[in-house]
Amino acid sequence: MAGVYLSYPFCRQKCTFCNFASGVMPASLEDGYHRALFEEVSRFGWPWIPETVYWGGGTPGNLDPEVLTSVMRLIPGKPWVEATIEVAPGGVAREKLRAWRAAGINRISFGVQSFAARELRASGRRHTAATVAEEIALAREEGIANFNIDLIAGLAFQTPRSLAESLDWVERLEPPHVSVYMFEIDTDSRLGNEISSGGARYGANQVPPEDLTAELYLTAVKRLEAMGIARYEISNFARPGFESRHNLKYWRLEPYAGFGSDAHSFDGSLRRRNVETAAEYVAAWQDRATALLEETPAKRDEERLFLGLRQMAGIRLSQAEWTRWSAPLARYFNEGLLARDGEVLRLTDRGVLLSNEVFQEFLAE
Amino acid sequence: MDPAFIRNFSIIAHIDHGKSTLADRLLEATGALSQREMMEQVLDSMDLERERGITIKAHAVRLNYQAGDGQLYQLNLIDTPGHVDFSYEVSRSLQACEGALLVIDASQGVEAQTLANTYLALHHNLEIIPVINKIDLPSAEPERIREQIEQVIGLPADEAILASAKSGLGVHEVLEAIVKTVPPPKGSPDAPLRALIFDSWFDPYRGVIILCRVMEGRIRKGQKIRLWSNGKAFEVEGLGYQSPKAIPCGELSAGEVGFLHANIKTVSDARIGDTITDVENPADEPLPGFEAIKPMVFAGLYPVESSEHGLLRDALEKLRLNDSAFSFEPENSVALGFGFRCGFLGLLHLEIVQERLEREFEIDLITTAPGVRYRITRLGGEVIEVDNPTRFPDPAEIRQIEEPIIEATVITREEYLGEILKLLEEKRGEQKKFEYIGTGRVLLTYSLPLNEIVLDFYDRLKSASRGYASLDYHLAGYRVSPMVKLDVLVAGEPVDALSIIVHKDFAYERGKALIERLRKLIPRQMFEVALQAAIGNKVIARENIPAMRKNVLAKCYGGDISRKRKLLEKQKEGKRRMKRVGRVEIPQEAFLSVLRVSGDSGQ
Repeated sequence: MAGVYLSYPFCRQKCTFCNFASGVMPASLEDGYHRALFEEVSRFGWPWIPETVYWGGGTPGNLDPEVLTSVMRLIPGKPWVEATIEVAPGGVAREKLRAWRAAGINRISFGVQSFAARELRASGRRHTAATVAEEIALAREEGIANFNIDLIAGLAFQTPRSLAESLDWVERLEPPHVSVYMFEIDTDSRLGNEISSGGARYGANQVPPEDLTAELYLTAVKRLEAMGIARYEISNFARPGFESRHNLKYWRLEPYAGFGSDAHSFDGSLRRRNVETAAEYVAAWQDRATALLEETPAKRDEERLFLGLRQMAGIRLSQAEWTRWSAPLARYFNEGLLARDGEVLRLTDRGVLLSNEVFQEFLAE
Repeated sequence: MDPAFIRNFSIIAHIDHGKSTLADRLLEATGALSQREMMEQVLDSMDLERERGITIKAHAVRLNYQAGDGQLYQLNLIDTPGHVDFSYEVSRSLQACEGALLVIDASQGVEAQTLANTYLALHHNLEIIPVINKIDLPSAEPERIREQIEQVIGLPADEAILASAKSGLGVHEVLEAIVKTVPPPKGSPDAPLRALIFDSWFDPYRGVIILCRVMEGRIRKGQKIRLWSNGKAFEVEGLGYQSPKAIPCGELSAGEVGFLHANIKTVSDARIGDTITDVENPADEPLPGFEAIKPMVFAGLYPVESSEHGLLRDALEKLRLNDSAFSFEPENSVALGFGFRCGFLGLLHLEIVQERLEREFEIDLITTAPGVRYRITRLGGEVIEVDNPTRFPDPAEIRQIEEPIIEATVITREEYLGEILKLLEEKRGEQKKFEYIGTGRVLLTYSLPLNEIVLDFYDRLKSASRGYASLDYHLAGYRVSPMVKLDVLVAGEPVDALSIIVHKDFAYERGKALIERLRKLIPRQMFEVALQAAIGNKVIARENIPAMRKNVLAKCYGGDISRKRKLLEKQKEGKRRMKRVGRVEIPQEAFLSVLRVSGDSGQ
């Protein structure tokens, strides 16, 4: 079954940890973006009826509900099994919720990142824990009870104690789904850049060392499992039956169509990628009525492993695969990073934290 | 040409004091090159030289100068290399001259290497013409520099020329001073031929090209010549001079400088410092000062990709054609596979070869720690020479180990003496001479183990003296020393390519520093890795690299598969460039880390 991804890269502020091509951009660009997005979706010849829709960002929660509705009208398959919108806490209101629901939205992903005031401040976020609680209650009242809370392990000023505070909030709010990411130091984010250059802005000198970040993540895994929110993918946790249907498509090599800047598509054999920034997207659409940046054939035999194994349930290998990858498999069984249950191959708990080491082996030379 | 109208000179200058620019101006002023051709400084021809600001190969350029006295003069500018590794070449180039321009930056003043080369020039009885350069800079203090020249170098400086090579100021005065001050060459064109080889290189079309200074007699095309050191005879196929382009001529006579080719197949047949004479009418004795230059520092060079072994061998053969001071032979290492044991004049020479291999031949290299050649007497009395730690015999079979000793001359200023003496002591030096040479200057002669020089001595000396110490050395025999082989074990396995030979008193300290360094260079692995330094079975230092805690992509938008793939590919490529020893991936730099274990870096 297939999914639709819609990218809305605009934000009220750029978070210090963010390394996406999103952020604060001029309002004039936004109008052009709406038009281009509308056109891109309307020109798509649907080879399938999608079962999921996902508005990612950026902060699509800030998108004018009328624009959102007009775009969603172009997508066949309503009511979708799962239609998610990513929001930043502080951006949810009753009218919006009603409009979203009418447009077909039935799931909200709250970009909370942390409930600890100090961590939020250093990240450039303006909400408080109370805002999150209020907005979740409001969503429930308006009939959207399926939601996700995003958390980040390894934020500046985070300690085991402050993370526990965030997890206490999670416990009280009883989300059906939680994502836990780990902050990565790269020069694409302001914070990562500051750390790399040895500075102290954004709490750069207060970012937990890598080993502690790993510990914090493991703490979260344990707490969430105790709440009945089990890890089903490296960064994703859900109560039974509430796994994100949309995100699973990525790991299972199911098709999806992405629209907007930096959106990616997969039709089962080709992987396509749109231009990265909103400005490029608008310009590309005006110039040549396409935003396609590159198109590469998928290598399913490799992707199956390095994507499929992200799922805790693992993947079923064919006899040919067991043979083809026998050398790296033997090595990682030996290192305790992979485990085999019958014909199913999966990462061990230890293997999750070192999964890139394992995945590299499944790339052909 | 009548020797009375010939002047042979070189330029002595510290890096960046304007040697190349002044040379360019002289060429320009004498019409050897047009302004347009001056776009690039012509004397330093290799990229590498330009980047490092040093001249590796000597060149000789002939300038025709119409002097103020109305006469046409032939001025030969002989360029010299400027590093201690090449001091023999410098001295041969100076031997080809009667005078030298001493170029000193009007703000920076006299630097130590300048001093050393000036003494070398004085030793060869060269007439020195001080030139104070860059006098148009706001920071220029020509009067202070003039004083410095008199006090520090001990040369009269009242007639020092004030110049700005950049703007061309003083260039005419320099040319006139060369004509007036530098003595004409002495030898007679009618005496039996004696010519000094001061450079040679391999040309793919003509074989070896020799740069020489005819001291006495003449060389003509078709003449049969003999090279003194090896007795080999060749027939001169062509000769000429650089102006700076090669210009053929029919004859080079006493006093002149030029090149010749004689179908010589390898540069090792045309050694620097050797004497060329005539087969029919030979001279009675060779020119003084010839030494067969031998590699003194040895290191293993290995391709990162074992499939590039053949490529590396071809590249080494090509380099060897042009560089007789460099040697290589195959060796293999358990850790690194097949490679070559290479011999060099010194560390700079090693770095140059290494860079050329990587740059010109595009071979990724792993270089092992440089060392020297030891003379080992076995219990049975058999004497072997070993320059590779992995070939060191079992200590139980060794009667004695002798290490090469050099005699080093250091010239410095009094205020740096304390630091320098401390350094020399630390490096196991023995003082031979301590001499005051003029105001505040000291000349030290020490005998030092070469082993201590190859690591970081030159850099430490520079920092101990703020660049105000010169170093000049030559091999002076062997000395019995208690040397031991220090092994490095990674995750319990000895890594042969990391073994070094070290004096037993330094073994603990060096082992500790080395392990410490490796701990930082070897990335965390999926398991804890023990690093140990050991002598025989005795572990003298130990460190642990904790296991890698995480390497996971737990943050990104799911749909972007190419980004995930790229990250994995990048990590995989990084590993491919490492050497896997047992279960551990060791990066290239680790094998050179031994170089950087003491003092304050060896950049």
